[in-house]
Parts: sequence; structure tokens; C-alpha cells
Amino acid sequence: MYEKHIMICGATGCLSSGSNQIAEALTEELESRGIRDKYRLVMGGCPGFCEVGPIIVIFPDEVFYCRLKTKDMAELVEQHLIGGEIVERLLYKGPDVDAPARFYDSIPFYSKQRFNVLRNSGVIDPESIDEYIMRGGYRALKRALEMDSQAICDEVKDAGLRGRGGAGFPTGMKWGFTNKAPGPKKYIVCNADEGDPGAFMDRSILEGDPHAILEGMLIAGKACGADEGYIYCRAEYPLAIKRLRTAIEQAKEYGFLGNNILGYDFNFKMNIKEGAGAFVCGEETALLASIEGKRGMPRPRPPFPAQVGVFGKPTTINNVETFANVPLIVREGGAEEFKKVGTEGSKGTKVFALAGKVRNTGLVEVPMGITIEEIIFDVGGGIQGGREFKAVQAGGPSGGCIPQDLINLPIDYDSLTQAGAIMGSGGLVVMDDRTCMVDLAKYFLSFTQKESCGKCTPCREGTKRMLEILERITEGEGKPEDLDTLDSLAHSIKDSALCGLGQTCPNPVLTTIRYFRNEYEEHINEDYCQSGICKPLFQYLIDQDNCTGCRACVRACPVEAIEGEKKEPHEIIQDLCTRCGSCIEKCRQDCILITRVGSEADVGN
Amino acid sequence: MEKFIDPCCEKCTHTKDTPCKDFVECCVEGPICHENQECADKRKAIIEKVALDEKFVIS
Ligand SMILES: Cc1cc2nc3c(=O)[nH]c(=O)nc-3n(C[C@H](O)[C@H](O)[C@H](O)COP(=O)(O)O)c2cc1C
Ligand SMILES: [Zn+2]
Repeated sequence: MYEKHIMICGATGCLSSGSNQIAEALTEELESRGIRDKYRLVMGGCPGFCEVGPIIVIFPDEVFYCRLKTKDMAELVEQHLIGGEIVERLLYKGPDVDAPARFYDSIPFYSKQRFNVLRNSGVIDPESIDEYIMRGGYRALKRALEMDSQAICDEVKDAGLRGRGGAGFPTGMKWGFTNKAPGPKKYIVCNADEGDPGAFMDRSILEGDPHAILEGMLIAGKACGADEGYIYCRAEYPLAIKRLRTAIEQAKEYGFLGNNILGYDFNFKMNIKEGAGAFVCGEETALLASIEGKRGMPRPRPPFPAQVGVFGKPTTINNVETFANVPLIVREGGAEEFKKVGTEGSKGTKVFALAGKVRNTGLVEVPMGITIEEIIFDVGGGIQGGREFKAVQAGGPSGGCIPQDLINLPIDYDSLTQAGAIMGSGGLVVMDDRTCMVDLAKYFLSFTQKESCGKCTPCREGTKRMLEILERITEGEGKPEDLDTLDSLAHSIKDSALCGLGQTCPNPVLTTIRYFRNEYEEHINEDYCQSGICKPLFQYLIDQDNCTGCRACVRACPVEAIEGEKKEPHEIIQDLCTRCGSCIEKCRQDCILITRVGSEADVGN
Repeated sequence: MEKFIDPCCEKCTHTKDTPCKDFVECCVEGPICHENQECADKRKAIIEKVALDEKFVIS
């Protein structure tokens, strides 16, 4: 028996902020004191709060230490592990708490979260099948093996599970199609391509709880009459792949994979296919081609994968998070529990990668139906630097941006679609008032334009033409007719592109035009970018009335474009200024103004 | 018995080639096919070693 369990976040986020070095320092400290054996150290899954990593949680005390440095380990061992007293200095602190906070009960980031999919992340050793079993793992598989295939499909459908990978298609219904498709050979495919820039929900689930995915796929196998599975995971996720390989070996050893699983007439073989990371390979037909060793290009549907899938056989393809929900639903009494959370049309929880200008970035799992305001301000702790919230991009490059006015919008499949965005896989990029919406649309479109596979003309040519227009607008060369052209191109691409990449990629442009038309018009008609992003369309000026002459901006300017005596208002030499923004970041008086090109110092805006 | 897959005694026959339908429940609640306190304790020892707190085990 160990005195305490020390769970160190071993997910990619904390690894990059140094959790491996923390683990080494802690081990050394314990060894040097000869007490290493009393404590169990686990490199576990992600507790989500990447912003404050590296993170350690100590059990059974449930104390959450964050922003750790290797030099903190001696104190942590001395005071907490040996002395039994919490090290307050290393607890979470922030403007959203009055006093240093201990864990779930007192850190606002966790207050509105609900852990279904992330139930085991950071709680079990992801490389231990025994711990997964202790947490109720593989019981749903056993139950499924005693059920009729169609009954499983019906149960999952009745629970209201919708696909977490994009479109939100009802999972039980999809399984039913494959189950009814003729033929003895069928496949289950797990889509772990996760191509949205900034998204890492699926990676965290795979790294933190790989057996949940295997169990979900096995249950799908029984429901669909499939006996083989592929996990299609991008090669940039080496830790996820390593954990999956370990899990597969363990599941084979325990008899959850192989022939006559648990003594039932059910066989299943699991394969991993490493993808090269193209965005389009997340599209299901391109993904299937890639598994077959062909170039990752989509093909028209129908036939849908449920009829003609991988190697021409009926195939069910689901997202990682979809599969992670399945054992929860199929276990005894699980469907009823699952249905209790969420909204009428969107049941359960959703994992989001919260990024951008929000204070608490990281991975969050929240009940469907939570509002944008709750996610950004309660979970996310508001906007960095106390700036103003402007919009949030939901659903990555296929999604859309939702403006501040819609802050009370509930996050569910139908509300997001109505607002012009999509749930997508769960990326949420938060923007403040210094984000230019034209530039944002340009960023996402340049991503999809590069990732377009080139097979169909509307997407290959259309995205290029749209991007050229956006580039012109941000360079101050916009024309009054550009907005109509963008709108018409966007709709043609949506209507005629071969696959979802083309059909959805105009969304960021369409939603920014819908909600921020004035900004586009300002760029085009007034040569002005009010957010101070598009360099030819603004200039910085120093507010002469408020500048205290502190010289912070003078020191920050890399091109010596600011002059002025100490304690006298400074001035910017416009011919030298490159609009790099170093000065505005440094000014504590907020007296660097973003103004129209050519304005004079006292004109202000 | 270091892991759940190890047999608690000669009465446990579950392997991947000779699977037992009760294996999953048996890991946490077993033994199911025979009664033996020692065999139960072996399973408990595996659990107690890693269970973080009393909420950890879900059956
Ligand atoms: C361009 C493009 C990229 C996609 N990328 C992903 C992805 O990375 N992961 C994913 O699960 N689904 C992705 N999808 C959606 C898949 O085509 C498919 O709908 C999904 O895997 C189905 O799983 P679900 O029903 O569980 O959501 C993408 C779709 C498109 C059009
Ligand atoms: Zn701009």
C-alpha cells in the first residue's frame, strides 16, 4: 500500500512545459530521502488545465499543484508528503479565486465541468488495463456481447448519442445501417485524424484512457457485425499511438481482442494506421482511401461507408470521442444516466479545446447546452488582460464565428448550426477586440485552401479566388463589389464541392461577413482596420494628453521609431514604424492608439 | 497474483484461449466460480495498491 498517489500530467501539453523533468526531480528527491517506495508516481492523463502546467495532483488528498518547477519538488516532498501540510505557494491562484485553491471544489475552471469522456483522465495509469477494469471498464462490452446487435444500435440511438467528429449524425442509426448491410466482412474505423488547428481533444482522450476507445470500438463491432477495426491516428501523436499499442497488447492478453472474446461467438482484430496529418484525411472517404494505402482523396457519397467502406466492405466510422462515450451508455443503466445530461437534441457532454485570448486555456468537458458565456467567463475565466470579448470561432476551419451579441447561445448541435457555425470536433478559439475579423477569415481560408486536395474544381479554384480577395482587402486593395463576389463564390463552393472540406470551408468567411460586415466595409471603403492587425490599414499614434513619458515604448521599439524626452509625451515617426505592436504591448497607460493612416496626434480615432 | 489476468488458484482457468464469461466482474468482485477468502484477498490487494480513494472502484 502506498501512502500517497502522485499523478503527474503526462499528456503532451504538460510534457512540453516540462512534466518529465518534474517527475525526474521528484523521483530523485524521494530516492535521496530513501522514501521512494512509499509513493506511487504515475504519468497520467490530462486534467485539462494546460494553461497552468506542469500539474501534479496528489491523492487521496485531492490537492492540485500547478505551474511547477523542478526546484519546488524538495518543498513538496518535505512539507506535503512528509509533513502532511499543503504547500499553499504551489496551489492555483488567480483573479477568479479569493485564496489559493485546492482542487475541483474550489477552482472555477472545474466548477461547471462534468466528466464523462474524461472520467479516467488523470485518475488512472493509462498504461494499466487493470485500473481501467477497476473503473468499470469492459463491463459494457460484456453486456453488449449478451445483447442482440440491433438492440445495441437501438439503445445507443435511444440514448441520443450523436457523432462528436463533425456533423453530429446519430451514432446508433449509423451502426444500424452497417449492421443491416449485407456480407460477412465489415469494419469499424476510429477517426483519430484530428486535423483542426488547435484541437487536441481526441489526443488527450487517447493518451489518457486508451482502453475506453478499444471498448467503444468492440461494442460497435458487435452492434455492426464487424470483426476488424482500424484506428486512424496522425503520426504527430506518438504518445497516443504508443498508449494505444500498449492497450491493444494488454487487451489481447486479457482476451478482449482475438477470437471467442470472453467465451462468446465474437472475434475482433484491431489495427492502427498512422496518417500523415493531412486535414482532408479526416474526411471519412479520404480516410478510408488512406487506410487502403491510396492517396487521401475523398470520393462522392453515396455509396456511404456503411455500404461501401474500407476495402469495399461495409464500414462504420466514428470519432474518438464518440467511441469514448459508448461504454458509458452500454453499461447497465448507462443510457438513462447519459440522457440526463444535455439538451433535447444534444445529449451528454462535449469536450472542447479552449484556446485563444481566454485566460484559462486547456481542455474542458461540459454538459451540452451550456452557454458561450459560461464557457468563456466561468470556465475560461474571461478574456486575457481584461480586454473585451469580441467573438468565438467554433468548429475550426469548417465552423463559424459567433459574435458577442450571441453570448447566451447554448452550445448544442442545432443552436450552433443556426448561428452559422458547427459543433465540429470541438475547437473553440476566443477572440478579443484586437482581432480583425477579416484577417481571421483569411487565416482559416488560407488553411483550407492549402489543405484542399485539388480533386474537385469548386474547392481547388474557388478557395484560391476567395483567398485572393481576402488578401487584397487586408492589403487595402479591396473593391466595393468584393463582398458580393465573396458571398456568391462561397455559396457556389458550398453547393458544388465534392466533400465536406469544400462544403464547409466558406463558413468562417460567411459568418464574419454576417456578423461583422461593418469591419469588411471599413477595410474596403475607409482603408481602416480598427483592430490594428492589417498593417497597411492603420497607424499607431501616441495619445499626447495621457503619455507620461515613461519610455517603456521607446525601449520596446525594435526600429527606434519612437522619440521623446523622459517625462515628456513621446511621438512615433510614422516613416520608420513597422507596426509590429511591441509598443502597444508594453504601454501601461493605454495611450498607444490605433488610428486611421494619416490621422494627426490630437484627432484620436 | 500480480495482475487480474494471473490465476488466483488452479480453479481459475481464464486465458485468452480458454476464456471465461465472468472474467470482467471476477477481477473486482471475484472469485465468482469458487469461494475462497484468500483468492478474494489477492484481488483486493491488486486494487488497494492503486485505488486513489474510496470512489475509485466502479462496479
Ligand atoms: C475536411 C474534413 C475533416 C474532417 N476531420 C475529421 C477529424 O479530424 N476527426 C473526425 O472525427 N471527423 C472528421 N471529419 C468528419 C468525418 O468525415 C466523419 O463525419 C466522422 O469521423 C464521423 O464520426 P462521428 O459520426 O462519430 O462524428 C472531417 C470531415 C471533413 C469534411
Ligand atoms: Zn484588418
